[in-house]
Amino acid sequence: MASRVSLKSKGKASGKGSKGSQEEKSLAQSFKEWSTWTVKKAKVITHYGFIPLVIIIGMNSEPKPHISQLLSPV
Amino acid sequence: MATALNVPPTAPVTTPQQMKKEEEKVDYLNLPCPIPYEEIHREALMSLKPELFEGMRFDFNKGLSPKFSLSHSVFMGPMEIPSQSSETIKIPTAHYEFGANFIDPKLMLFGRILTDGRLNARLKCDLTENLTLKANAQLSSEPHMSHGMATFDYKGKDYRSQFQLGNGALFGANYIQSVTPHLSFGGEVFWAGQHRKSGIGYAARYNTEKMVATGQVASTGLVALSYVQKVSEKVSLASDFMYNYMSRDVTASFGYDYILRQCRLRGKIDSNGVAAAFLEERLNMGLNFILSAELDHSKKDYKFGFGLTVGE
Repeated sequence: MASRVSLKSKGKASGKGSKGSQEEKSLAQSFKEWSTWTVKKAKVITHYGFIPLVIIIGMNSEPKPHISQLLSPV
Repeated sequence: MATALNVPPTAPVTTPQQMKKEEEKVDYLNLPCPIPYEEIHREALMSLKPELFEGMRFDFNKGLSPKFSLSHSVFMGPMEIPSQSSETIKIPTAHYEFGANFIDPKLMLFGRILTDGRLNARLKCDLTENLTLKANAQLSSEPHMSHGMATFDYKGKDYRSQFQLGNGALFGANYIQSVTPHLSFGGEVFWAGQHRKSGIGYAARYNTEKMVATGQVASTGLVALSYVQKVSEKVSLASDFMYNYMSRDVTASFGYDYILRQCRLRGKIDSNGVAAAFLEERLNMGLNFILSAELDHSKKDYKFGFGLTVGE
């Protein structure tokens, strides 16, 4: 009995509240979604790009090593 | 004052030196910078927790320039899977790991990638003279198995402070201060949002040239004390005591570390009935042979490993 009452009151409150704060909610939600999307993309970029980035930075540092040194086992 | 120090030649030689040391007043405004908080147990960990492994390991480090190097590493052996029961489950695995390191005084990049797609990346960057950014990440293709953590370190004249952010809403901060030239105190606080846990801890470290004693207490229930004595240039002995007052778990261990000309031998024995040893022998310039052994008599788990490291 008590749970039914609380559910009804929740439904009423959300009905009233959603109209007013719909814009705020969607802004917060879109910010959250956007940040989650950014973090996911950053993770994929780091996963694939970190080692190539280190190699590029290393090959451009002084003294510049030759590309054959990168691949040969000696 | 000078005449007081001119002791007669028959007296022991150390007396004038000892008197000089006592006269050197401790300058409390000029204390040395302390060790970073996470390295407070550094000497004890170096002696008591070598990188024990089981199986065969081969590492090849190739330096392309003084700052840039590549590493190839092969490992074949059983890997332990954490299991709920007391039995240890081991699965034989073999993997190849490719790594690239770039080391500059201001920027350090360290990346390792395994054949199963896991990336282990570390970055250390000096943003200003006193502020350092460190980040490390373990990324894997499996969802929800990736971790990342970024740390901002500020080094003051006789203190260090650090702020950490991790994924899963992990926040931490710690601070350590030199109180006398030999003693430093520190504290830390962390909050893990995902597991809804928070904790606070304190640590103290007393070190002289011959010994290091540290103590750490944390609200997660951990009490850790350690003592390392440098018996000579080549030998140091370490002992460690860990007590968890929540789970009533006690472990004491005692170990030695011999740094000789051609080899480095570390061994330890534990109150859980574990004896371990780790030998790194320098066969030639740039060629190191590694032997590792860990005998766990209570769990009947015996691990032996050997390996070779080529390159610096």
